[in-house]
Amino acid sequence: MASASVLSEYKAPISAHFSPYDFNGGTVLAIAGNDFALIATDTRLSQGFAIHSRECPKTFTLTNNTILGCCGFHGDVLTLTKTLAARLQIFEKDHNKPMPTASIAAMLSTILYYRRFFPYYTHNVVAGLDEEGKGCVYSFDPVGCYEKESFRAKGSASAMLQPLLDNQIGGKNQNGYTAQSLTSTQCVALVKDVFTSAAERDIYTGDNIIISVVNKDGIKSEKFPLRRD
Amino acid sequence: MFLTRSEYDRGVNTFSPEGRLFQVEYAIEAIKLGSTAIGLKTNEGVVLAVEKRVTSSLIEAGSIEKIMEVDKHIACAMSGLIADSKTLIDKARVEAQNHWFTYNENMGVEGVTQAVSNLALQFGDDDPDPGAMSRPFGVALLFAGVDEKGPRLFHMDPSGTFIQYDGKAIGSGSEGAQQALQEVYHKSMTLKEACKAALTILKQVMEEKLNSTNVEMCTVTPQNLFRMFTKEELEDIIREI
Repeated sequence: MASASVLSEYKAPISAHFSPYDFNGGTVLAIAGNDFALIATDTRLSQGFAIHSRECPKTFTLTNNTILGCCGFHGDVLTLTKTLAARLQIFEKDHNKPMPTASIAAMLSTILYYRRFFPYYTHNVVAGLDEEGKGCVYSFDPVGCYEKESFRAKGSASAMLQPLLDNQIGGKNQNGYTAQSLTSTQCVALVKDVFTSAAERDIYTGDNIIISVVNKDGIKSEKFPLRRD
Repeated sequence: MFLTRSEYDRGVNTFSPEGRLFQVEYAIEAIKLGSTAIGLKTNEGVVLAVEKRVTSSLIEAGSIEKIMEVDKHIACAMSGLIADSKTLIDKARVEAQNHWFTYNENMGVEGVTQAVSNLALQFGDDDPDPGAMSRPFGVALLFAGVDEKGPRLFHMDPSGTFIQYDGKAIGSGSEGAQQALQEVYHKSMTLKEACKAALTILKQVMEEKLNSTNVEMCTVTPQNLFRMFTKEELEDIIREI
């Protein structure tokens, strides 16, 4: 009754390719000063040649003196920041104090490493004040390796920004010049310059930057326009 | 008096009509059979002193351990069913190390006490969590340590209630010792005075004659953290009292 099937009718199985990650662009930049720390992030959210949002900041307030810059795959950014917010609140209730910046960095490292074999695709920088009120920056790779630094660029345009920071803040590759610590106003001006340059070349960075400065008085944010094409 | 309780003191998870949990109250009574332990807090650090009941000359006194290190900056003295404390101390140590691993800072004394007190209330007949028991723990603990708030002393009883103290005595001699602590304690006490006071009070309430083998003493200070007194150091203080 059933007609005999012919070998040529068989097709190879369709393999649905699972791609769990995407890249939504964005650049974050953090600088630590003597009594302040800042994070600047652009507000563009894109995917390939499409811009999903021009108003998507990637800076997250964690405590009264700690902020996080987080970009990469937006889905992971949302989940990671939500996890962090929950953990910080639990810590505060358990220990009757807000989590110190150094502890947030250590905890973020463990959160990231617990996903060692299916990592959050996020580039992270934590900035804030330490126990003595000094500015500090911690930068992370996606699986939790972290380091305390004084300035760091992460994300889409990081390869353009970092050498500029090395030169302007670190005083690298300049003969007879030793680096001096910058004031918060100087840093903000520098950040605007380097982001404007990066937005010229990188299509995943643009629209605006949000610059958040942490000091003993709290966190203040300002917005600065970048090119929108 | 005890007869009227008879119906409601069997189950650990049954309140009496007056709203009491008798098994928990009995566990608190069990502490009063234990050897005396004293904790005293000063601005320089905290001292813990405990009596060891060496009931036979054949007992190796050094094998009786009633002061334990939870972390470098936290010590714990105990009275009651010492075997029960092993589970609690284990929990305290694991919590302290987990905290350090995750947050890269020392855990606070209150945090450790809170963690242990959570375990103390996890008793019941069914579905025990790992480490939990079918009855209340029969041991009271004194947590002494230093953290960012300075030297701190906490007392936790089998009900899981914990309270911060400047000076606290637990165990069979606790009533007399607590009275004596209240008389001798003042805010500007030095650690040396506190060590001496702790041993003096212990001497008063102990049935046996106090010597360097039947007491244990430790200090926790911001500088040296947890430090156990050696036999010689104990003898030096005993000679002065």
